[in-house]
Formats: sequence, structure tokens, C-alpha cells
Amino acid sequence: MSAQAKKTKTASPDKGSTAPSKGKTLRDFHEEERLGRAYDSHLLKRLWPFMRPHARFLYASMVMILLAAGLNLIRPLVMGRVVEGAQAEEPGGLMKHGITLALVVVGMQVLTFVQMYTMQIAGARSMADLRAHLFEFMQRLELRYYDRTPVGRLVTRATNDVDAVGELFASGVLNAIGDLVALVGIIVMMVALDLRMSLISFASLPLVAVMVWFVRSRARQAFRDIRVKTARLNAFLNEQVSGMPVVQAYARESVMAAEFDEINVEYRDANKRSIFYEAILDAAIEMVGTLCIASVLWWAGFRRIADASITFPLVVTFTQYIKQFFEPVSLLAQRYTILQSAMSGAERIFKLLDEPALEAPAVPTLPAANVPADEAIALEDVTFSYKPGVPVLKDVTLHVKRGEKVALVGATGAGKTTVTSLLLRLYDFEKGTVRVLGKDVCAYDRRELRELFSVVPQDVFLFAGTVASNIAMSDDVPDLGRVERALQRIGALDVFLKRPGGLEARVDDRGANFSAGERQLLAFARALYRDAPLLVLDEATASIDSDTETRLQGALEAVVEGRTSLVIAHRLSTIRAVDRIVVFSKGRIVETGSHDELLAKDGVYARLYRFQFAVEQMETITTAQPPRASAPAGAAE
Amino acid sequence: MSLDPGALPTTLGGQFKRHLGAYVAGGVMLGVFQLALNRIDWLSKAAIDDVFGGAPEQVTGPALWMFGLAVLAFASRVGSRWYIFNAGRDAEYELRALLLHRLHRLGTAFYRTMSAGEIMSRSSGDLQQVRLLLGFGVLNIVNVVFAFASALQVMATISVRLTLVSFVVLPVMVITTRTFSKQMFTRTRHNQETLGKLTEVLQTNLAGVRVVRSFALENREHRRFAAANAAYLDASLALARIRGLMFPMVGAASTLGVLAFFWYGASLLQRAPEAGGITRGEFFAFWLAYGRMTWPMIGLGFSISMIQRGRAGYVRLEEIFRALPEVTDGKLPHPKEVAGSISVRGLSFSYGDRKVVDDVSFEVPAGKSIALVGRTGSGKSTIAMLLARLLPTPARAVFVDGNDVCDLPLSAVRANVGYAQQDAFLFSTTVSRNVGFSLDECDSEEATRKIREAAREAQVLEEALGLPEQFDTVVGERGVQLSGGQKQRIALARALVREPKVLVLDDPLSAVDAKTEAAILDAIDRQAAQRTVILVTHRVAAAARCDAIVVLDEGRIIEQGTHDALVQNGGLYAAFAEEQSAKSELDDLEADAAQPGPVPA
Repeated sequence: MSAQAKKTKTASPDKGSTAPSKGKTLRDFHEEERLGRAYDSHLLKRLWPFMRPHARFLYASMVMILLAAGLNLIRPLVMGRVVEGAQAEEPGGLMKHGITLALVVVGMQVLTFVQMYTMQIAGARSMADLRAHLFEFMQRLELRYYDRTPVGRLVTRATNDVDAVGELFASGVLNAIGDLVALVGIIVMMVALDLRMSLISFASLPLVAVMVWFVRSRARQAFRDIRVKTARLNAFLNEQVSGMPVVQAYARESVMAAEFDEINVEYRDANKRSIFYEAILDAAIEMVGTLCIASVLWWAGFRRIADASITFPLVVTFTQYIKQFFEPVSLLAQRYTILQSAMSGAERIFKLLDEPALEAPAVPTLPAANVPADEAIALEDVTFSYKPGVPVLKDVTLHVKRGEKVALVGATGAGKTTVTSLLLRLYDFEKGTVRVLGKDVCAYDRRELRELFSVVPQDVFLFAGTVASNIAMSDDVPDLGRVERALQRIGALDVFLKRPGGLEARVDDRGANFSAGERQLLAFARALYRDAPLLVLDEATASIDSDTETRLQGALEAVVEGRTSLVIAHRLSTIRAVDRIVVFSKGRIVETGSHDELLAKDGVYARLYRFQFAVEQMETITTAQPPRASAPAGAAE
Repeated sequence: MSLDPGALPTTLGGQFKRHLGAYVAGGVMLGVFQLALNRIDWLSKAAIDDVFGGAPEQVTGPALWMFGLAVLAFASRVGSRWYIFNAGRDAEYELRALLLHRLHRLGTAFYRTMSAGEIMSRSSGDLQQVRLLLGFGVLNIVNVVFAFASALQVMATISVRLTLVSFVVLPVMVITTRTFSKQMFTRTRHNQETLGKLTEVLQTNLAGVRVVRSFALENREHRRFAAANAAYLDASLALARIRGLMFPMVGAASTLGVLAFFWYGASLLQRAPEAGGITRGEFFAFWLAYGRMTWPMIGLGFSISMIQRGRAGYVRLEEIFRALPEVTDGKLPHPKEVAGSISVRGLSFSYGDRKVVDDVSFEVPAGKSIALVGRTGSGKSTIAMLLARLLPTPARAVFVDGNDVCDLPLSAVRANVGYAQQDAFLFSTTVSRNVGFSLDECDSEEATRKIREAAREAQVLEEALGLPEQFDTVVGERGVQLSGGQKQRIALARALVREPKVLVLDDPLSAVDAKTEAAILDAIDRQAAQRTVILVTHRVAAAARCDAIVVLDEGRIIEQGTHDALVQNGGLYAAFAEEQSAKSELDDLEADAAQPGPVPA
């Protein structure tokens, strides 16, 4: 266990052992843990545009903070007056001051509520704006950025980090201004009432200040530890649950439990430290309060021997001031911690917003000359690479006429899918021209361009919702009639009506409760529902039971009918349904023509056909069996 | 590890009893604390009466006593929190360890009914509620009893009528906090739910970024996000309203009490003590006593809700604690030596009412190899998992060296039957620790050698050395992202390091290219020379190297024999063989095709 433990520590994100000598990976790993400066005017300046639209609430709140602080300041005076009135034995005065006290107290509470709420309105609204801004920004980030960034990190930016900044308002860090005013006000009032008595009360102040800052800084460290440990604890447990089969298969339960115990102990101990500091702080402030009151009484006693000017109401007023004095002292330190974490949240947010990898806007280019009127899709001398220096497409030229159905075939990695990505302008290419319906793709507004296509991807992504909402993806309210007709046309209506709930049957996140075949069928229905002029279809390679296979074949025929279609084909039946076949190899188009032409040519396609499609044909004969109840694919293994 | 989670009590009462000592100590501290405060009240009365009653020189005594008692109050207050809050934290710690202990023993049947998200929500949210009950809740309840007694003694002694007057608002306060804390809990939960929804919308949007863009769904996504964002905003403000209202309301109620006291108390001050009046000192002491009783009373409303929520949370945790493991130790002793012969006799298995394995029998002599071949859904992976008892293997169906696996201790089965799963799950730690997962330490020279050797056999050594920090590179969500093939080979290396007597490899090559596959198959051949190998695969090239082949379809064995015999047979296996030799020829044709693009999300 001990060596294992050592290793855990080196991999742990909270230990400062990772000097710059360590490579990039561990630094990235640690990224979330850095804590910025507590105050950074640059960050505040960048936050301001989000706060400005709600600034009137902020200003109103600030005014009320000052008013409340003022009222809080006169409360002890009024209390003294009540006692004074009582001593003076004039019931009228008692009544009058009593009512004033009631008004002061109630007024203060009302002010506090309104102040806090307006602050929250300002804060929550500006954070909602910031979140929306982040969301829109993420929608404009290049796909390349997503290829290298874990989704979880981006989600954290718009949730946890924004919430951390929001704490500025929710926990009332800005109320620190009120605290300061209250503190200064109390000191002024006390000094004005009785200088020497105040000095005695303040005698303990430096001591309290030093102690508060000392304990707070320790507590802050403990809190930071707790935060890091909480994250590790949850990450570990989550991983144990997802990796349970591995843990069990390798019989590592006890070792994993020991590793978990280590984090669990650290978490518990960090919490215990924070409990200790918190308890000390609260108890010490209470103790100092009592000590102050005792000192004041002691002092009053000495003074009374010679001088009767120290009165009971004065002692009451003083005591109340002392009680009110320590609250802001304790709060100020606490608010500093929140400010610090808010600033580091803001820093991470703006670091993301500084990311330059944004999709380029549409550039108006001259209409290309001599574009044939019936051209639907054109790629001319297109070169593209995901990684610099490793081209995936090399000088590809391809023309597709309106209404034509073209199959792209070739080995995995030959560049077929990339062609479709470029048509949709999911990526920007380095060289060449891509035209869709006679217009350069770079001249299109991206959305306008993509609305021209119906896409059936290889790996169908379903959204949590219903069958209908997944088919009618772009509509808020699915047109059930159209959904039904789309399913009817691909011959899959019965498949989905069979499910409890029918078209309104629930779809889990990513369509986890649907088999691969059903997901494919849904994707075909989507394409029909959308009814766009161009179709891009990436056939699934996954093996699907024969019943679904037959249905998919019918669905494909229904979808390509009457549409310009580009099909990445893996099945013989598909190849037969198209007008022309384009063969890709190593990023180039090596052959093009009809099935018969290409076979006659006896080139790459002919070999491909013999190897791939001929086997498929033979297999269907050899494995033909009486149909059985189709099990959801993928569930058994 | 000093803690044995298996021995921990699984009931809330049991947890409470376990920490009874700390609770008693904390309770005593609270008693001392409240007693000190009670004495301070009386001393301040004495001091005030001395100061304003004509004997100001006598004030020193009470003042010094107050100093001393203030220090005592400080110490006992810190002590009470230390004991009781720590007991809560200790209980939380133990319950969390117990949770993992139970989770480790539960099988797929449980994980199919409770999702990872649900388990996480229980381990954080519900456990927190339980901890609050066992720490904060207990402290507040004990404290409120002592505080009430200690303050009441001062107040009632001074004036029963004044006490009654001041108490007018007390029930209002308790009821207010009670109502508010209930409301606050509901709204906090609603707030968290809307945040969860927002996170989900964002997560789906970003994970499905390709779909969103390909289908030009930006408008729809924008609307979905805007709706979730607005709902979260509303929920936050609703929570802010209740939170913002509660403290002023309670504050106002408590100050109204103070007000009533000031009013009536001031009028009592005017009367002589003989006429039912009170002295200045008594007025002052009453004020202090009343003030320090307020917050515990306000807290009472909270504590009651906290206890309810804690109990509800515990019920949800108990569902995990009490779930029955479907796979348990058998009664036979740990075998001294395992040769590694496997015999499967009439094995059937169903998921619910869907039969996935149907009457399967085969024999593998120790040191021999066998391949399970079949299409997706043919049941071959299920059989692989049943061999290692990763699923509830039926009795008298799987035997290791003639012993029913169900009769053997679980640890013996898992130690001797090594299973490497199909979808390579890696832990987000270093490559070295992933490969050396089965080693007790990964840093010694011996371990490093083993890890590298396994990595080399799994054809992943060069790539591992090419990573930014080589074998110390952290992989996964927060480290370097690996390709599917790399993950699979690291998982294979992990299986090789373990050197079990029976090695079950579940489709270890599905994401590996042909060239690497050949090299790995050589490594598996070397492995097969030392142990029994059961290889689940859909690749004929891999199966061909095994001593025997079992062909499965829809859970049943349809063919069985050697590669040559099966090819001659002309059945399903022969069809596979033909298909794949054609494909491999095609791969050769395209072997050096350009690199594929990044794996779509």
C-alpha cells in the first residue's frame, strides 16, 4: 500500500510537487486547481459589460447597504434612550423611544431584504447573461477545438466557474463595503460617546484582528483542500462505479478501498481542520465580546468612584456596540475567500473567451464563372488535413449533378467522410474550392449552407426526448403527421409504434435505450422529415440483425429518391441503388463510373467488390436462417 | 488501512452508538459552556449593581471572574464542536468507506437498476444530509436544551413575568424557521435540479456538437439553452427570496422579543425591587441571557428539518448498504495450486427473460487455448464473463480443475481466471499504473520491468514512450486522450501483467489494425504456451491460432473443432474465414492509406 500511496501523491492534483520541469500533461491536469489573485482590475473590467445592463439594481443595492449600516449604527443609541427614559421615570419618553426602536429594527430588516434581493437580481441576471454569452461563444468555436478539448471542461466553464463568480453577489462580497462602513461608524460613535471607555474596548482589537487573519488564512487553506479533496473523492468513486467490472475482474477491491481510504481520510481531516478553525474563530469572537463587556464594567466601576458621569444607559449602549462590532470583522475575512475563488473562476472564463479558434465568417466571393446550371456539388482540387503535414484529401475533384446519386467507396481512412465534412463546412480546407448548388461554401452563412443538407451519420446521435422530437429535430413542436409519414415511407412505423408510448416514447440521453438498427432507422426518418434538397448518408458498418437490415435497405431507397445524394456505401444493395460510384484510396479519387464500367475496368473497385461485397452476398446465402425474435443489438455483449 | 468497512454498522442508530463517547464528551462540554455563560450573566448583574449601587470599588471581583469564565466558555465551546462535529465527520468517513465496500461487492444486476449518477448523488447529497444530522443536528439539539435551561434559570429568577413577556415571540420564531427551512430545502433542491438540467443541455450540446452543426440546429439549441438558463435564473432568485426573507423575518421576530423586553423591562426598572421591580444589574443580566438563548432557539427549527432530511437520506443510502450481492464466496477452501483446466457443461444464462447463452458445453485442458467465435450478440462475451464469475454464474456449469467455480472462494476464481474486457476501461491515472493495475506497487525495478514487458507484448511500448511523460503520463478525461486502439492495447498489457492461470481475453483486437494484430497474436501465442487462454474474437486470423474453436450463434454452439476442420466444414466459420481473408487482402491494398481523422465525439 505504501508505495502505491506514494504514487497517488505524485498524481494528485493538489500537491505542489509538479515543478515546471514536468511536461505539459500534468500542468493541464492541474489547471483546475490554480487559485488566482483576490483582486484583479483587469478581470473586473471584463466582467463589467455583463453587469452594466443590471447596474441600476447594483446601485440601488449599494445605497441600501449604506442606509442599513446607518440604521444599525443608531440602534444602540435608541436602546440607550429607552433605558434612559425608563430611569427618568417618564412613561411618555419610554413609549416614544420604544416606538423609534421598533421602527429602526423593522426598517433595517426590510432594507436588508430589499438590498440583498436587488443584489441577487443584479448578480443572477448578469451571470445568466455571461452564461449565455459563453454558450454562444462555444457554438462558434471551431470543431478542431472540440477535437482536443474534453467536453467536461467546457461544461465546467459555463456552470461551476460562472457560479463561482456569481457568489460575489449571492454571498454579498460587495456587502463588505457595508461592513467597513459599519466598522468605522461604530468606532466613531463609541469614541464620541466616551473616548477612554472606547479605548478599553478597542484594546483587544489588534489581538482579534491578528487572530482572525491567522485563523482565516488557515481555514482558507483547509477549505481549498476540502474543495480539491471533494473533487477527487467524487472522481474516484465515479470511476470505481464505471470501472467496476475491471476492479472486480482484477480482484483489486481491497487495494482500491485502501486508495480510496487515503483520499477519504484526507478529506475528513481537512474538514476537521476547518471545523477546528471555525470553532476557534466563533468562540474567540464571543469570548472577546465578553472580555470587552467585563472590561467596560470594570472600568466603569473605577470611574464611578470619583465621577458619576458614567450612566447605566451608556453602559447598555456600549455593550450593544461591542456586540455589533465583531460581526463585520469576522465577515470581512470570509468575504475575502469568496472574492478569491470568484476571481479565479473569472480568469478561467476569460481565458476560454480569449480562444482564437473561431469559425470564420462567410466571405462574399464573386460567383464562380462557368458553373453548369445543373451542378449540385463540386469539389475542385481540394486538399485537407486534420493534423498539419498529414493530408487526408489530396487534390480531390468531384462534380455531382442535381438529382444524381453518387456512392463513395474505399477503405477506412481513405477520406470519404472528410469529403462530407467539408461540404457542410465543419472544417475549413487548405486548398481548392467547394461549391454547393453553384455557390462557394465559404460564401454561405454556415447555417444556411447546412440547412440545404439532410445528414444520416454513421454513428447516430440521439437527444434525450421522444421519438417524435428526435425525428423532428429542428421543430420545437414536432408535426406528428409528418413524423408518421416519414416513418411510414421508410417502412419503420410499426417498429416504433410497437414501443410503449409510440411516437412519444422516451429516448434516453444519446439514445441508450435504442438498438443500433433502430437508431439508424430514426436517422433516416429524420432525413425525410427535414426534406432538404441534398442528402449525405454515411452507412453504418455495424452488423445488424437481418430483419432490420432489410428495413434499412428499404429506408435508404425511400430517402435517396428524388434527391441529390452522396452515400458512403458499405453494402452491395446500396451500391446498386446509385447512378455513379467514386472510389477513394489514400485521399485521392482513383476511379469513377458505374458499377459495370468499373468492374469491366478491373481496377481497385473490381478488387474491392470481389473482396468486400461478394463475401456479403455469399454470407447472406450461407447464414440464411428462419427469422427469430430480434434482440436489441449490442445489449448482449 | 486500519478501518474494516465490512464490520461497520449499517443502521443510523448503530452509527450513533459507535460515536457515543464523542457525543457524551461533546455534551458535557456544552453543559460546561452553558453553565459558564449562566455564571457570567449573574456576575454581570453583580458588577452592574456594584457599579451603580454605591459600591463601585467591589467590581474587580466579578470582573476578574468574568474574564476567567469567558476563557472557560471559549475552551468548552471549541471542545463541544470538536467532539460532536468530528463525530459527524467520522461517521461520514466511515459511511463512505462502507459505501464503496458494498459497491465493490455488487454485480451487474445492481448496476443495471441504479445508474452511476444516482449512486453519486447518494454518496454526495444524501451522505451530506446524514452527516449534518449526526454532527450539526445533534449539537444543536443538545445545545438548545442546555441553553434554554441555563438562560431560563437567569431569566425566571429575575422575573417570571418579564420572562413570559419576552417569550411571546419565541414560538413564532421556531415556527418561522421551521417553515422557512422546509421551503428553503425544497427551493435549494429545485435550484440544483435546474442547474442539473442546464448542465445536461450544455453537455448534450457540446458532446453532440457535430450533429448540431451538421443539422444546423443552432436555433433550436439556442432556445433549449435559453430556456434552461432562464429556469436556473428563476430558481436562483426564488431561493434568494426565501433565504433573503428568512433572516430578516427571524431577525425581526427576535428583535421584537428584545423590544418587548426593553419596554416592559424598562418599566420594571422604575419600580423598586420590593414592588416587583428589578435592579439595573438584573436588567442587564436578563438582556444577556435572553440574547444568548435566541440563536439556539432559531436553530431549533433548522435542526428538526435537518434530522428529517438526514433520516430520509439514510434510507436512500441503506438501499445500497442492503443490496444483496449476486456473486458470493463458495464454501470450498482456497485451492493450493490451480492447473487451469476449464470445463463448461450445459451453461445457460439469461438477462431477464432474454436467453443469451443456451446450453453451451466445451472443455479446455490446462495450458491449451480455445477461441469463442461469433457475431455481435452471439453470447460469446457473456460466456467470457461467466467464466470469471463477473456475472452470477449458475451452479454446476463452469468448472476449474474439476471444481465448480461457484463453490470456490471468489478471490480464488478472480485470481486464477483473468478477464480482460472488450471495451477497454482505463483509470485516469498514469499509463504505468493502468498497466500495472494488478501489481501492489508500480515503482520498483521489478514492476517497471514487468510493465514494460507487457506493454511491449501488447504492441503499445513505443507509443507509451512517445507520450509527453512516457509511462507517467496521466490518461483520460483530465490527461492525454488516447485513441480506442491505444486504450485497448494498454488494457491488454494490463491483462498480460497479471499472469493468471486462465486468461480470458474478450475481443482484445477489435480496434487494432492488421499489422499490430499479427504482432499481438504472436504475443498471445507466447502466453498460450504458459497458461490456458480463452480468446473471444470475431477474427478468424486470431481464432486460427487456437487449439480449438467454438462457433456460437444466438447463444448456442453451432460448430466446434479446429480451424482446418471448420473451414472444410463449410459452415458459418468458413464463411467468416473467407470474408476476412478477403478483407485482409484489401487492408494490405490500403495498408498505408492516410491517417483517419479524429474520432468523432
